[in-house]
Amino acid sequence: MTPDPATTPDTSPFAEDGTLLTFPKGLVGFPKLSLFKLFEPKDSYPLKFLQSVETQEVSFVCVDPACVKKDYEVPLGEEEAEALHLETPEEALILTLVVIPEDPRNMTTNLAGPLVINVKTRIGFQIVLNADKYPLRFPIIAQN
Amino acid sequence: MLVITRKQEQSIIIGGEVEVIVLGIFKDGVRLGIKAPRSVQVHRREVFEAIAAENRAATTAKAPIQDAAALLRAAQVRKPHVR
Repeated sequence: MTPDPATTPDTSPFAEDGTLLTFPKGLVGFPKLSLFKLFEPKDSYPLKFLQSVETQEVSFVCVDPACVKKDYEVPLGEEEAEALHLETPEEALILTLVVIPEDPRNMTTNLAGPLVINVKTRIGFQIVLNADKYPLRFPIIAQN
Repeated sequence: MLVITRKQEQSIIIGGEVEVIVLGIFKDGVRLGIKAPRSVQVHRREVFEAIAAENRAATTAKAPIQDAAALLRAAQVRKPHVR
């Protein structure tokens, strides 16, 4: 099958077989897990897995939020940019976590807790945004 | 748990570098100011817990990820590309 340009990733900053990422503070609720492998299982684009290296049972489904909400932006304060050592916005990879329920049509992504990763240093943090403005359960498949 | 009584404009210091100041006391709430180093994240508990709950939910996909991905790709193709 010829890849459809509309559904095929053009460039990925990370290798196909997975890239090791460090979250020095873990993720919210998972403060002790800091080392993760980010990879895309077969036929899963645009979804990805963030697999804990330390605890095999823990892996998160995530997505590049630009795929689900084109105008999504993370208001990154100077302090956070500094902690991430981000020099330009292009150095940041943003991912949001995806909840897949039994009926995957109802899947949602959490826009209030994005992961911001410096693609150069491969260090990331989960940012906590104002849940009044950024939905915790943003429906990915638009309900028309 | 340590319990301390403070008045308006009084504060407490935690760990030598975090200061919590009582800015105002109202009928149904207290306004606090928090001074902390940049490395210390400060969150309202309910926001922190809501994100933690979503994180936990994101660890258990209840349907195959490939099915969800196919739905998502189909939805994207249908959407007009607006720039």
